[in-house]
Amino acid sequence: MRKKILGAVVFMLTVLLSGSAVALTAGDVIEKANQANYYQADDGRAKVDMTITDSLGRERKRKMTILRLDAPDGEKQKYFIYFDKPDDVKGMTYLVWKKPGEDDDRWLYLPALDLVRRVASSDKRSSFVGSHFAYEEISGRGIGEDLHTIESEDDSFYRIKSVPKDPNSVEFSYFITLIDKETFIPQKEEMYDKNGKLYKILESLEVKDIGGYLTITKMKATDLNAKGFTVCEFSDIGYNVDLKDDIFTERYLRRPPRKYIK
Amino acid sequence: MKKISLLLVLIVLAFLKNVCATELPEIHGFAEGAFAPKFGSDKTKHENFNMAEARVQLKSEYYFDDDTVLTDWQTYISVKFDFLLDGYMERSFVTDIRELNVSFMPFDFMDIKVGRQVLTWGTGDYLFLNDLFPKDYISFFIGRDDEYLKKPNDALRVMLFPDWFNLDLVFIPFFRENDVPEGKRISFFDAFEGGITGLNTRREILTRSNNPENFMYAGRIYRNFSSYETALYYYRGFDPSPRSYYSERDLMLYYERLDAYGGSVRGPVLSGIGNIEVSYYYSPEDSHGDIRERQNSRMKYLAGYEKDLGNDLRIGFQYYLEQTLDYDEYHRALRSLDYRWDEFRHVITNRVTKLFANQTIRASVFTFFSPSDMDVYVRPSLSWDATDAWTLTIGANLLWGRDSWTEFGGVQKNKNIYVRLRYSF
Repeated sequence: MRKKILGAVVFMLTVLLSGSAVALTAGDVIEKANQANYYQADDGRAKVDMTITDSLGRERKRKMTILRLDAPDGEKQKYFIYFDKPDDVKGMTYLVWKKPGEDDDRWLYLPALDLVRRVASSDKRSSFVGSHFAYEEISGRGIGEDLHTIESEDDSFYRIKSVPKDPNSVEFSYFITLIDKETFIPQKEEMYDKNGKLYKILESLEVKDIGGYLTITKMKATDLNAKGFTVCEFSDIGYNVDLKDDIFTERYLRRPPRKYIK
Repeated sequence: MKKISLLLVLIVLAFLKNVCATELPEIHGFAEGAFAPKFGSDKTKHENFNMAEARVQLKSEYYFDDDTVLTDWQTYISVKFDFLLDGYMERSFVTDIRELNVSFMPFDFMDIKVGRQVLTWGTGDYLFLNDLFPKDYISFFIGRDDEYLKKPNDALRVMLFPDWFNLDLVFIPFFRENDVPEGKRISFFDAFEGGITGLNTRREILTRSNNPENFMYAGRIYRNFSSYETALYYYRGFDPSPRSYYSERDLMLYYERLDAYGGSVRGPVLSGIGNIEVSYYYSPEDSHGDIRERQNSRMKYLAGYEKDLGNDLRIGFQYYLEQTLDYDEYHRALRSLDYRWDEFRHVITNRVTKLFANQTIRASVFTFFSPSDMDVYVRPSLSWDATDAWTLTIGANLLWGRDSWTEFGGVQKNKNIYVRLRYSF
């Protein structure tokens, strides 16, 4: 269904670019980019390899498998994460029921203790597994959280400026996203702090066609103040792998679905 | 026992080597050295420290992948062994099988796990109401990793997942007691001696025999209502701590029969996570509460709240209440020189956790405070992931009590600080 809509939009855009009346609003552009980046297909699986490099060049590695299931309508999603590296977290599992506009429901399972911990998390800007990516930069920031305007555009890109509706909930004052006009894949995101200074850059380093879906397979987050960066690679990507809703429950926290985790 | 454990380990390794024709499944684990100097003077085995050990943990999982029904049932074997060189106990070498179990899914609504496994449920943070599975409080007091607070059971666990609810049924044939302060490593309040006692304790504990009438059962029925997790719990077994007197004259305690019934709710409250849990502990051997040597039935109540304040700072609070039922009968049965426990014991806990340096440094303080017992237990800890493999943890166990007969006051001579260095692979 979503693929049809995206297809229709792309077609429309092609018609539009040949010189026609209605232009896309900033909201439309962001909506398309959000769909293209976080909501491809009805479900997805990927292996994630993160390398976190600090200002002294020391590296840490994070390896995990992420399963994602979209709700049939609306922005709700469920995530299941199986941690593989580093070794001291291997076997831990994490479950998220994402509810944009509300706090997510999150659980962490510690196999050594057979403990299902409910995780209190209202801060989506905190670091994801100690990397330079914030939690919502991995799972997707709700598009209703900011006011979007088209700052400029050229033949290839839209430059969208986004200003948070609730400035106290985030560490930035605004961010600028460069979105490819053809694919709606965000190419680059520049984040500006409360003083208007550029402090963080997110970039897509590689985009591939996976089963008909354009997917960012390599991205980088750079912290200009701390002079560190994280490179995140996605591999073994699958879409519409027929994930069932019951995988995203406590049952599978205890017993990770091997079929998808292997 | 130690030789049997080691033999069992070798058998399992040999089995795995044969079963997986080409290669062993991945083995992970860690090697850790730990030391804890202590600051109370009491009559335990060593005055100046209560932990000095080297430990290696090995764990592995084997998934069946052949053409048998085992693969259809997604069967896998889980093993976890600890090898401990314990410098506190005359450098004794201990093999501890922490996990040795088989999991399989004979129907898509049923998971079964049989063998040695750790079992945990309930919503408390270091407080257990409906989780009556055995605990190792000695490891808790000396500064071992949190993993060691729970002792594994040999059990059969059947988990059922029909549409409307989930069911967790546990059958435990062999009783395992809590490891409680015994005087050798951890001094404690001994009512027979009338004060804090170490090696000089003369008390004994009657062990439980392993026959069918002593089998234990535990169950949980649970489901989510949107974001709210609800559960009802049942336990039929024994008090895992020896609280009742089998024979006062012989200075002998025992593990009394205990049934527990309870429930819990956990979910979002005021931008955080709130939980409520309740449990009714029924003592069938003292159902009217008037037998002086036996524990009365009790109620336990818990309310908790945890919030993420942003920037990797989290706080949590709990209010916990223990109520002795049939208190008048209990009071009437006491003799004039007996210690008298309060009808209500209140405990407030607090946890503060902050992560620094890309989450490689974790600072945490957990505090238990009882305004009714007037005692306190503070557990600060700082851990640093020097690399992805090396972790250094330092912490302390700080205990104070106005009196010596309360839960934390009784162990206040065991204050220590500890250091653990771990290499994970």
